[in-house]
Amino acid sequence: MELTPHVQEKLHSGHKLTAVVEAGLVQDFVKTTRVVALIELGAHETKQGGEQALLIFQTVRVPVHSAIDLSIERVLPIDSALRCEIDTSSTDVHTDVLVNITSGKIRLLFEMPFSQRTNTFVSEVLRAAEVISKRRGPPPEFAWLSPYQASASSSNQGNTNSLSGQGTPVNGQETAYPPATATLVDLGDDVPNAANSPYLDPSSDITDNNILQGETERSPELGVNRHGIATGISPTPIAARESHIRHQMALREDSYTDIHDFVFFIGTWNVNGRSPIVGLADWLAVDEDPPDVYCVGFQELDLNTETFLFNNTPKEHEWLNAVLNGIHPKARYQKVRLVRLVGMMLIVLVQEKHLAYIRNVAVDTVGTGIMNKLGNKGGVSVRLDLHSTSICIVNAHMAAHMDELERRNEDHDCILQRTCFHTNINSPPKTIKDHDHIYFFGDMNYRINHCDLNVRELASSGQFKQLLEFDQLQQQKNIKRIFHKFHEGAITFKPTFKYDVDSDEWDSSEKNREPAWCDRILWYGDSIKQKVYRSHPSLKISDHKPVSAVFVAGIKVIDTRRYRRNYEEVMKKLDRLENEFLPQVTVITTEIILEPVKFLQSQTKSLTIANTGQVPVQYEFIKKLNDSSYCKPWLRITPYSHFLMPGEKCDINLEVLVDKRTAAHLNSGHDKLYDILVLHLDGGKDIFITITGDYERSCFGSSINALVHMNKPFREVPIARLIDLESSQPKELSDLPYAIPKELWYLVDHLHSHALQVEGLFTISGRIKEFIDIRNCLDEGVPNDLLPGSVHSVAEALLFFLEALPDSVIPVALYKEAIDATPNFSLCKEVIAKLPVYHRNVFTYLMAFLKELLKQSEGG
Amino acid sequence: MAKEYDHLFKLLIIGDSGVGKSSLLLRFADNTFTGNYITTIGVDFKIRTLEVDGARVKLQIWDTAGQERFRTITSTYYRGTHGVIVVYDVTNGESFANVKRWLHEIEQNCEVVNRILVGNKNDCPDRKVVLFEDAKRFADQMNISLFETSAKDNMNVEEMFTVMTKMVLQTKKEQKDRQNATSDPVRLHNPKKGKGKQKCC
Repeated sequence: MELTPHVQEKLHSGHKLTAVVEAGLVQDFVKTTRVVALIELGAHETKQGGEQALLIFQTVRVPVHSAIDLSIERVLPIDSALRCEIDTSSTDVHTDVLVNITSGKIRLLFEMPFSQRTNTFVSEVLRAAEVISKRRGPPPEFAWLSPYQASASSSNQGNTNSLSGQGTPVNGQETAYPPATATLVDLGDDVPNAANSPYLDPSSDITDNNILQGETERSPELGVNRHGIATGISPTPIAARESHIRHQMALREDSYTDIHDFVFFIGTWNVNGRSPIVGLADWLAVDEDPPDVYCVGFQELDLNTETFLFNNTPKEHEWLNAVLNGIHPKARYQKVRLVRLVGMMLIVLVQEKHLAYIRNVAVDTVGTGIMNKLGNKGGVSVRLDLHSTSICIVNAHMAAHMDELERRNEDHDCILQRTCFHTNINSPPKTIKDHDHIYFFGDMNYRINHCDLNVRELASSGQFKQLLEFDQLQQQKNIKRIFHKFHEGAITFKPTFKYDVDSDEWDSSEKNREPAWCDRILWYGDSIKQKVYRSHPSLKISDHKPVSAVFVAGIKVIDTRRYRRNYEEVMKKLDRLENEFLPQVTVITTEIILEPVKFLQSQTKSLTIANTGQVPVQYEFIKKLNDSSYCKPWLRITPYSHFLMPGEKCDINLEVLVDKRTAAHLNSGHDKLYDILVLHLDGGKDIFITITGDYERSCFGSSINALVHMNKPFREVPIARLIDLESSQPKELSDLPYAIPKELWYLVDHLHSHALQVEGLFTISGRIKEFIDIRNCLDEGVPNDLLPGSVHSVAEALLFFLEALPDSVIPVALYKEAIDATPNFSLCKEVIAKLPVYHRNVFTYLMAFLKELLKQSEGG
Repeated sequence: MAKEYDHLFKLLIIGDSGVGKSSLLLRFADNTFTGNYITTIGVDFKIRTLEVDGARVKLQIWDTAGQERFRTITSTYYRGTHGVIVVYDVTNGESFANVKRWLHEIEQNCEVVNRILVGNKNDCPDRKVVLFEDAKRFADQMNISLFETSAKDNMNVEEMFTVMTKMVLQTKKEQKDRQNATSDPVRLHNPKKGKGKQKCC
């Protein structure tokens, strides 16, 4: 199956197919086939190159025969929001590879075959994601995807119509996605330039569209190839159950989490190497209520060269203590983590009562200073999970000086790209962007660009609006060079740089630095509202003023009860599915009743078994506990084991034949025509099949000793008497037993009268139909003492008769003795003397007949 | 995380034909009930995963044919069972009278195993003939816990299986403790003095 040409045909010119794979999209536990293609905008179409996207196709048949089979279902631009992760929870190498592809609220779980193609595909997607994360400048707009986007919407539109009324709602997932517009309104107040809001950029539009489309076409039970889940016989056809649970729980997150408001205090201060000789309460504890979380960042904690070289400073302790002494007195706090690189330090404190809900704390530091490596500039970060929201806090110090704008931009890029948190070995490392909430603050060092304005005067008189137009940070952000999708509140405070130390006067040194808003606080994430954004000019020990902001952040808090209920639902659903995927068959009947069975007359019954389950079935008749075979010796089952695909049927033949091996036991009542067969489905249930019938007893299979006591035709002897005669000590014997069984006499006498001259007697086989007549005659009484059929049939009947004897003419007990005696005439006579009386009679009679026969044949 | 469950237990449901063994299983595993009576000809099983005391327990529950003629065959399925659920029908006195035989069957085929007695079809007081008090007295006498359930009305089914699971978990824990204890040389001379609860079969 070659997919590439078909997918290639679906692409518009100038777009290149990088990799393609056929994968199972897992929706609500059920897998349906998709074709996933990684496409790229050709290098000549764009200046920067590297714009890539995933196209997800539905296919009307598998394997794909032509491009017509494929229709675009989804378009996922590979932007900074796209994640591709291989699920590592499945340890079984034989199962498919589970690949999670997420983009914002879209979560897709794919099962891809364990193959080179998959490997290539995933590597290419990861590479594409890396390229985009390393990209400088404004994020790509993905305008080139609009034709695909259009066809995706139209095909989904079609789906919606055709599905109407059939789609089943999926446990409240529809409510999982807040409408995109609501987000806009929420943040509108804080976004200074709504027209440039990242929420309006084309790439987010695409994402939001997808969410809406995703809802309409999510219809789990429809058109799914459920057989596809189970590709063979396996005890647990649902591979990687754990991954499914996690995926399902992630999809249902909104239904078991509540949003609780948490107050975050963010503070940043470039302290110019000073010691905390003043209290910090005027900065950290000016609000009425204590915040839940403190994130306090410092820059230029220590300007000593030793600190720079050895990263050791007594200031760390001094400032930590100052912070601990300066925080809000109305609550008790615990330190979550302190991280420092040279002069950059970040302290995260949390109210004691929340400490138990903080998990997976990790830190990282990135130096972007000298040689783009050292810690005189850069960022220090802490990440943590508060309840179910992941939070990243970044304290940065970027390149200084008016003209170093590009260096600052690069510092911004470096910090975002190089910061990397390792929480535990089981999950992939996280970057800053992998968090729900991000607070990014510090001495960003962006200045007010050269302009004709009198910066000092405007700054002093509070006319910030004009000045802010020349603020480099806002300018760079507006052109999407930096802080894409981040927000900053309106600045209503004086520039925080640069003052004469211990004063509120602008820099009066030789350098005569112009005032600037170097110290800034930005955030990223839904459900964060900034309450205040301010500076604290009363703290004068540095050439910067401290800045702080208070946020009310909506934190996802798991409701244990609802979580449990959801979890149980998911488990139940999986269990149910697992049960559905147990092998299932229907058998027409479990009770087989035979017509009366006669000696050596076979009878065949058939049993139809249909695979009515969802998985292939391997059935087999199995032995019961103490039995040596899966059925009685008079029964033959074909095929006793077989493989059935879902929907397939199979006829099992049950052939009953009572022959010389089994007749004696049935005659004596040691066995009955009754058996319970155990039809076992591999990995599934057992079905009991009862087979019953009556055996019409015959002289064939009766013992010599019993037959000589029957003066009437065999059929006229009551069954009770037959059983009695076959027992070791019969109660009722005939007064006038025959010397030999009369049936034997009929057979031998017939041959003696009619066949002494016949050539090939006993070597030419008889006819079974004639044998049946002979058998019936012998059992029911021989009319006119004449047996029917050819002499060969009679000869064979004689052989059957002798073979079917429960104990042979020479009883088994005397076999060895008889064989040892062969060379010696007198020993032979001794053995014969030892034979039971009727056996001896039979022996003598048969010998006489054979002698006669030999004589005749020698003569002939 | 890679492991699907912490424990895998095999439970067995036995009892006279028609008392509702399959219905109990269907209710518990699939949360469904059908009024149509289909007699079980064979042995079927379903799975259900429970979280009990923080442990994920996967139950494999075997439903057996109750008919007399299958008794010798079904007895072979007792092997490896952690818990046996003996079911009677509260509207059918004979099915209760036969409980003794079923308990005997357990004794014959399992060494020691957790047992639970279940009076099913407890949804129609008018037709109830086996009174709770009588059943309770009998259960106490046999040292077996009693549940009255209705697979039809989904009454007490979940509870019964949960208690059964807890019993099996407890036994497993005791066994483990005993194993640890017997490795203690001081107690070596006094083996198996516990409650005699050991693995079955």
